[in-house]
Amino acid sequence: MTKLLSITLGILTAIGGFVDIGDLVANSQTGARFGMRLAWVVLLGVGGICVYADMCGRIAAISGRPVFDLVRERLGPKVALANLAGSYLVTLMTLGAEIGGVALAIQLASTVHYLLWVPVVAAVLMVVLWRVKFANLERVFGLVGLSLIVFVVALIALHPHWGTLGDQATSLGPPSSETWSTYGFFGVSLFAAAMTPYEVFFFSSGGVEERWTRKDLGLERVNVFVGFPLGGLLSLAIMACAAVVYLPGGVQVSTLAQTGLPVGLALGAIGLIVVIVGFFAATFGAALETGLSSGYTVAQYFGWQWGKRVAPKQDARFFTVVLVSILLGTAMLLTTIDPVQLTEYSLIFSAVVLPLTYLPILVVANDRAYLGEHVNGRVTNAIAVFYLVVILLVAIAAIPLMIITGAGS
Amino acid sequence: MTSRPTPLRIDFHLLDRQIVDSNDVPVGNVDDVELEMGPDGRLRISALLCGMAVLGHRIGGRTGRLMSRTARRLSSDGKPKPLRIHWSQVDRVESAVILNVRRELLDDPPLERWLRINVIDKIPGAGDAG
Repeated sequence: MTKLLSITLGILTAIGGFVDIGDLVANSQTGARFGMRLAWVVLLGVGGICVYADMCGRIAAISGRPVFDLVRERLGPKVALANLAGSYLVTLMTLGAEIGGVALAIQLASTVHYLLWVPVVAAVLMVVLWRVKFANLERVFGLVGLSLIVFVVALIALHPHWGTLGDQATSLGPPSSETWSTYGFFGVSLFAAAMTPYEVFFFSSGGVEERWTRKDLGLERVNVFVGFPLGGLLSLAIMACAAVVYLPGGVQVSTLAQTGLPVGLALGAIGLIVVIVGFFAATFGAALETGLSSGYTVAQYFGWQWGKRVAPKQDARFFTVVLVSILLGTAMLLTTIDPVQLTEYSLIFSAVVLPLTYLPILVVANDRAYLGEHVNGRVTNAIAVFYLVVILLVAIAAIPLMIITGAGS
Repeated sequence: MTSRPTPLRIDFHLLDRQIVDSNDVPVGNVDDVELEMGPDGRLRISALLCGMAVLGHRIGGRTGRLMSRTARRLSSDGKPKPLRIHWSQVDRVESAVILNVRRELLDDPPLERWLRINVIDKIPGAGDAG
């Protein structure tokens, strides 16, 4: 039974981490503009996060070292500090976007403007992080987040023309209404949404907090190779729903309400309720993960005590960073910046900082002093190097594509 | 996994590695290493140093100076003392540097102490583990 429950760590990271505000926005926007023509990027991203999260999980289980620890050790204090600055800012933007997502989900349910909910959400977030046990967090949000499966049900209920969706998925390049550069821009966003750096920060630090050992390796694999593809499946369902409802009319998606609308059309009020609950769980879960990840990165760079297992007074620096980050994320939203736009920008900047996080993971995953017999095999290394090249290309292309396309507009 | 890699390379095995106490509790990172001249005229490691001041010194430039200045502000007398871990307190060097003492025996980092007293302890429930 405990085994079954611990798989929820993977499901939480899959739903709250894989499907978070970034995926909700990027997938429905892409579906509305490109149909399923960029579905392959989601599959590519799922593969990448599986390979790298598995490496992080192995390193955490065998050596007990979380990701940002390795970043500093292998890149040295200067480069790691630059990575810390970048990763922290991106995590902070994502945290702001997730808090905005929670507030938007509550707006959908209450019709009260989201900005009024932002401080409430931030306060609840802090109390939850302060008081609730790590294991309970992952169970609750992991299981409730599964309600996003409603997108799969809605897709079937919409009776889409599967052949058309299939044709889109297998055709290369943008539709006639779009250019190659917007195609590239949305591709970068989708890839970044799948491989957001905070996912590996959270996953590996969570593994260390849960005190994974060699014996947990099987479990870790299940988490990664079941949890993340499940998240990817939901992403594709969200994309397909938008493709069916919005693409024919050329409607662009710019709000979270539009992301959920296809479910309402297919399943009525009940569907809408389920989808709003799903939005809430996924974004709140991800807000917890990004909040903790902001503390993980800073604390691990400096070698401080960190984590939710110990009392806050034992790791005062870590908890201060987490609480201040939530306040900063909230302040960002209160400037009335549109949370959906904040999400779009956080994805592009994520893409830029990806290589500096993923390279040290690959290096350490080959170090026998850390992993003993569990170092990467040849096949894993070949796949991992392929992904590192992709990550590098995406990082180089991200900013130019954003400028050329005016952020996809 | 040996208790101490041979040869032990300061740059590869020590610098920037996590230090944990005998109970696996993080103490700090190896921000710098102190060497001394032995009686045979050869250099040997005398202590591991951690603290923002030494790290700032190693990083150098504007960022490094900023870090050192922060450390000076936090220390009571303007002369930040890095945490000095004597080499005899190091039990083994693996994926982390593992000490043979408990963290409580070492000096409390000034930032940790300041934040604990002035921020975290003021919030109810600071003593409960999550």
